[in-house]
Amino acid sequence: MCVRFEASDVTEMNDWIAIGALALVGVLIPFGMMAVSYLLRPTVPETSKRATYESGEIPTGGTRIRFNIQYYMVALLFVVFDIETVLLFPWAVAYQDALAADEISLVSALGPMLLFVAILLVGLAWAWRTGAVQWAQTSRQLETDRS
Amino acid sequence: MPGQIAGATAGTAAFPAVPLQETVLLPERIGELTGLDGFGLGGELLATFLAAFLIGNLMLAMTGVAGPWAKRKITAAFTDRIAVNRLGPAGLFIIIADAVRLLSKELVVPENADRPAYDLAPIVVASSALLGFAVIPMGNGIHLADPEVGLAYVFAVSGIASLGLVMAGYASANKYSLLGGLRAVAQNVAYEIPLVVTGMSVVIFAGTLQMGEIVSAQAEPFVTIAGISIPSWYALVNPFAFVLFLVANFAEVGRNPFDTPEAPTEIVAGYQTEYSSVYFVLIYLGEFLHIFLGGAIIATIFLGGPAGPVLPGIVWFIIKIWAVFFATQWLRSAVPRVRIDQLIEIGWKGLLVLAFANLILTAVIVGLIA
Repeated sequence: MCVRFEASDVTEMNDWIAIGALALVGVLIPFGMMAVSYLLRPTVPETSKRATYESGEIPTGGTRIRFNIQYYMVALLFVVFDIETVLLFPWAVAYQDALAADEISLVSALGPMLLFVAILLVGLAWAWRTGAVQWAQTSRQLETDRS
Repeated sequence: MPGQIAGATAGTAAFPAVPLQETVLLPERIGELTGLDGFGLGGELLATFLAAFLIGNLMLAMTGVAGPWAKRKITAAFTDRIAVNRLGPAGLFIIIADAVRLLSKELVVPENADRPAYDLAPIVVASSALLGFAVIPMGNGIHLADPEVGLAYVFAVSGIASLGLVMAGYASANKYSLLGGLRAVAQNVAYEIPLVVTGMSVVIFAGTLQMGEIVSAQAEPFVTIAGISIPSWYALVNPFAFVLFLVANFAEVGRNPFDTPEAPTEIVAGYQTEYSSVYFVLIYLGEFLHIFLGGAIIATIFLGGPAGPVLPGIVWFIIKIWAVFFATQWLRSAVPRVRIDQLIEIGWKGLLVLAFANLILTAVIVGLIA
């Protein structure tokens, strides 16, 4: 492995090997606990012990219920904004160094970012107006919606 | 890592009293100490695994102290009670007793559960939280890895927990669990954006995503008052971002006043309603690891990482993350819960807008100074 990489690459690799090692530890610890628990715990099957918990009542209906569409709206908004943050990270890293090195002017360093954020904030304003991020409505808002 | 060395030397030239950022990471140090680095690649891998094992168990030990003992003691102090005091000094042995008690409980799997997902969810929740600690510099050379994308990596892996929570909620085949899982994911996605965008305002100052460099950038003096030089911790440079990040972080880890996903008075225990025995322990462990991971991120990017006077770095690091943990417990005792619709509104209409305002203001101010 060491042969194929330059010296600087090896340090980079070590970082990710270390992270991989922690991932391994992070999986081994839960499995270790599950093994210990498997040895310790009793198994006492009883009638309706495994029934779905509904505060002691006999469970009614299925659990694959319909839920509020607004969860979907929020998830959609998140995808848009999360991609935006990923695209902004390189800009944030380069910003100060580029300005300090006098490579570009403040306007041309800041302008594209402001434009990019502005486009997305228009999206947020739309979501705000259509009520995607307002889940409960006051009685007055309900009346204006009906009329 | 040439950038890191340059940052360290710049700090030394301006301000020699500041402890140097260690450039030797934990796997290499363990390799040297145990002599494993003489055994080629196999030895290096073993040393790396030992280092990871050490970090994992350090965080596990902290969670062990926090979960069964400190949480009870703190809540008891707030509500004027005594809490655990029977076993050992100050009731500390309750940690062992609770570990045995919880692991030896019967595992009751609900009859309609989606099996692979139901079993995987606790593992996903617990290990995703642990993964984040790989890039956190804990002082005294306890730093597992320092990749160039450190900060982005931390946000990415802590986001995996949402997947575990929605798996737990859906696979339990319980209405409370489903609602809790949905709330958890809605909350996590709503507050992830302000969290990352506020973190980005720190990146503008530091000019890097590498955790080691973010910490060494904070070692440079900010202001000097009466001969005492105050380091430029980003919590002092930009307190507004610090407060925003703190609030977004409490929501991200689902603590009061944003603990709607498990709201015990509304939906029993949310996504963990149907989990018992070791699975409950794992989900609980994952939640505490997330609180500590949040504290570790706050300490690293806002509070100078392991830096501090007199005491060694690791002690300062532990003090800082426990301070964040204490804050979560304080809020738990002092602040009422917000409703789910209020939570969404606070996130998208309040924090998100403030986070972008903070980012743009920071960019403009840094741009004018530079």
